[in-house]
Amino acid sequence: MTIKHESQKIAQNFYTFAVLLFIVQVLVGIIAAVQFIWPDFFFLNFNTIRTLHINALVVWLLVGFMGATYYVISEESETELWSLPLAKFQFWATVITITTVVLGYIIMGLYPQANILVFGTRLLNEGREYIEAPRWADIMIVVSILLFLLNCFMTVLKTKKWTGIQGVLLGGLVFLALMYLPGMMYVKSMVKDQFWWWWVVHLWVEGAWEIIAGSLLAFMLMKTIGAKREVVEKWMYVEVCLVLFTGILGTGHHYYWIGTPEYWLWVGGIFSSLEPIPLLLMVWNAFRTTRETRNVENKVGLYYTVANAIFNFVGAGLWGVIHTLPQVNKWTHGTQITTAHAHLAFYGAYVLLIIAMIYVTLPSIRGVKEFNSSRAYQSFWWMTISMVFNVLTLTGAGMVQTYMERLMGLDYVAVKATYNLWFWILRAIFGVGFLIGVGIFVIDYFKLGKETAQAKA
Amino acid sequence: MSNKTAKNLFIYGSLFFFVIFVALTVDTMGKLDKRAPEITDDVNAGKMAWHKYDCIGCHTIFGNGSYFAPDMTKVAEKKPKEYLKKWLMDPKAVNPKASMPKLGISSEEADKLLAFLEWTSKVDTNGWPPKPILATAAGVGGQELSEGQKLYRSLGCSACHMMNGIGGTTAPELTNVGRKRDKAWFIGHFKNPSAYVPNSAMPSYEKLKEQELNDLTDYMLSLKQEVKK
Repeated sequence: MTIKHESQKIAQNFYTFAVLLFIVQVLVGIIAAVQFIWPDFFFLNFNTIRTLHINALVVWLLVGFMGATYYVISEESETELWSLPLAKFQFWATVITITTVVLGYIIMGLYPQANILVFGTRLLNEGREYIEAPRWADIMIVVSILLFLLNCFMTVLKTKKWTGIQGVLLGGLVFLALMYLPGMMYVKSMVKDQFWWWWVVHLWVEGAWEIIAGSLLAFMLMKTIGAKREVVEKWMYVEVCLVLFTGILGTGHHYYWIGTPEYWLWVGGIFSSLEPIPLLLMVWNAFRTTRETRNVENKVGLYYTVANAIFNFVGAGLWGVIHTLPQVNKWTHGTQITTAHAHLAFYGAYVLLIIAMIYVTLPSIRGVKEFNSSRAYQSFWWMTISMVFNVLTLTGAGMVQTYMERLMGLDYVAVKATYNLWFWILRAIFGVGFLIGVGIFVIDYFKLGKETAQAKA
Repeated sequence: MSNKTAKNLFIYGSLFFFVIFVALTVDTMGKLDKRAPEITDDVNAGKMAWHKYDCIGCHTIFGNGSYFAPDMTKVAEKKPKEYLKKWLMDPKAVNPKASMPKLGISSEEADKLLAFLEWTSKVDTNGWPPKPILATAAGVGGQELSEGQKLYRSLGCSACHMMNGIGGTTAPELTNVGRKRDKAWFIGHFKNPSAYVPNSAMPSYEKLKEQELNDLTDYMLSLKQEVKK
């Protein structure tokens, strides 16, 4: 396996940054887990640690998408990238912006008063979940994404080979960029604030990102088992169709209790209940296509691709649908049930997607035919088993919380500190298990293709 | 179905649903202001302070946020303002076991934050968070409440105090309080809490009538665990 175009190597820069942020995300995640038991455990408070945990996640996935996209666009267009220097510039601009933002969060954590107003916006932390990055950084991120999109579109225009995969991939990325904008304005009403905030958060993870996932799934099935383009592209269109048909109005399941009109209970309840269907279709697609095609060219890549489809359905689909009906959500909203869903959904839908893309494309980038795949399987099982138990732990905590706090009327702090204590302890232990898996993956990422002598042994 | 048909279905179908979504958004935006009180300058300043201290990094509001600390949507309805203000400015002075750090919130900022939280408590949230059904039902069926018990409920004492496992954790537990204090202590304490408990964050209940203070005190004095068994 080798790459056809030299500029595809740029994907590796993005992957490396993504992988490093991944390990940072999991490390701070464990600190946060310990703070549930012992709040004063670290020199930074929980809010700073959690901001780092979720922002590292969002950024490393985005950076992973960018790397994967540069690779796919060049491959599908059968040409070099329009401008490699621009891609490099865009990469380093992203790294510098993100590093500055992280330093800002830490400074704000140590000296909350440093989060001053500059031109009407906060200097270090906007204080809005997931999109904590201050406005100046938002603008830098938008510029970076625009440069990235420009480079991709110009590459496609060089040969004008508009394949379905790159059409849907770029469509998803443009949708992603557009949906970042509703989060970039200040509104006085907290209700409107949360209303627009969900445009960003929901239409990313249950809209644009799933479209990207659908197109990358098609690409990976072609690369790992040589599936026919005609077939995988048709599946892809049906999948992304249903993602948006259910997902756009499915946003309504976030508009039940935030001060919005009652009709959202109907809209959100009906459409979000249908959201697992396209995810189930992706699982079916992965299995069916694999069965029909016998020549597996990249076993590890296929392994992660299929796992991605399965856990996308379980985490985002099943763990979401259990509490999506308003009758249920009234009791579970804002409890650890949501935390459980979020962990398995992000792991299944996007963490495994980026890792799958890395295993599908990295061997070609490094120019190796075969590589020792034992670490890839080891890390998969460490991560997956730990995450599944982590999620079961959080689900248990959420059920206890829903029953004791919401139904019986016990105090939040009493339930958290006393009745859920063992769940927190177990969660921290499974977190360490997950970290071991990530550690093995990171080692494998850096060593892959560089120890060919042992590979044959 | 050909790939081209599938592609067109994807593009135009998605646009169709997005247009419906935008129409619902426009309709919602027109209705939101009627479902919430007016936003004064203080409420807005409070929201700015909410963002400044990254409160969402631990708390939830309207159920969205970090699940590490209690939801703030209706907190201003449940707990006295005097208590909340002291808490915001120095949580551990109010409750040494508090997880919340002292963030350096000024007295003025605390007032603004309370104005903001009072605003959120009055937003029509379609009945969320729901009233705990078991706690509401407990003790009501086939049992006459004493005057003191009624006052304990109507004043919302259980927002901070716990009794037999039900109630808040931020103020002292009351299950056995009848064995520890006498009548004079209770009456004096209700009128001026900090004269009896240094640094107490409990507001004064001087405004209660003499009879009401007596009723509440009688109830407190009846709280003796072995008698209840």
